[in-house]
Amino acid sequence: VVNVACALHLFGEYVGRISLMEGPSMLPTFNAHGDIVLENRLAIRLNPDNISRGDLVTLRSPIDPNRIICKRVLGLPGDIICVDPTGEKAPSTEHVVIPQGHIWISGDNAAMSRDSRDYGPVSMSLVQAKVVARVRQMFVLLS
Amino acid sequence: MSSASALRLGRAWPLLYWAPTGMVLLHYFYTPQVITGRSMQPTLNPDSSQLWRDVGLFDRFSIHTRHSFNRGDIVSLRSPVDPRRMLVKRIVGLEGDFVLPRGPYPEDAVRVPEGHAWVEGDEGFHSDDSTRFGPVPLALVDSKLVMLLWPWSRTGLLDQPNFTKDGTPMRREDMAALERERNRQMRVTRASKTYNPS
Repeated sequence: VVNVACALHLFGEYVGRISLMEGPSMLPTFNAHGDIVLENRLAIRLNPDNISRGDLVTLRSPIDPNRIICKRVLGLPGDIICVDPTGEKAPSTEHVVIPQGHIWISGDNAAMSRDSRDYGPVSMSLVQAKVVARVRQMFVLLS
Repeated sequence: MSSASALRLGRAWPLLYWAPTGMVLLHYFYTPQVITGRSMQPTLNPDSSQLWRDVGLFDRFSIHTRHSFNRGDIVSLRSPVDPRRMLVKRIVGLEGDFVLPRGPYPEDAVRVPEGHAWVEGDEGFHSDDSTRFGPVPLALVDSKLVMLLWPWSRTGLLDQPNFTKDGTPMRREDMAALERERNRQMRVTRASKTYNPS
């Protein structure tokens, strides 16, 4: 039994797994509570540069090592990015060149998202998986 | 399955069967790793001719499960600029500390942000560390060095400087190690206990 548990765990770590989403920072793509998504870890493990602009990725938070966050990639290394066009977290003329090995992430719900506008470009080494599919909420009719 | 093929697989089967458990144990507890490069001389890989490489025993439990990071630990971390590379460096500063970087760095004093650490290699000139790319997120740290496994002459826990009874170091290497330690600590001002990251 231990062996099966270990095998399942390793599968979840290296190939792919199903995760629960929590938080309002990716509305309307994901609901604030209760969404279940499928992550693809193999693509990142085999080739860490496999990320493109517009991908949804899960990564370890740069400001809290115990936390996993899910955001969208906006910029790749070498891009020049406008930090915040709305001017809320930075002057709207501020632009940043993304250093080598880093990406710019952003939550879809910009009003309630703590992302690269707050902590700058994040290292690609923090990315764990790409989100590929959403399992539709199963119990929405019963609630 | 015929009995002949069952016998052929039979000898390898226990190994394959227990492989997942073994892998999980390695991943969450201790794992030996080869240390390459000169950036941690003379603590690790002191021989510049690179004829051998040190093998160290790295502890993943204290990082992944207990999340204990201390200043002065030698850790292996994934490089923030190259996701395929692992670096072995020493944690010099934790979040909230003020660090005076040595060598070419754009700022004179750096405050380590929340959730980050300042890592440096012991050998200043051959080291790819925070002096090059700044504070690194603690989430990149993978394991902590516990002891050396190879070569035999230096197997064991990393040497702590030996002191004579009146507090002076015993050997020249110890004095040098103490000097390096003091240089490191002089450049770090620890965060006060009331530091509030937000």
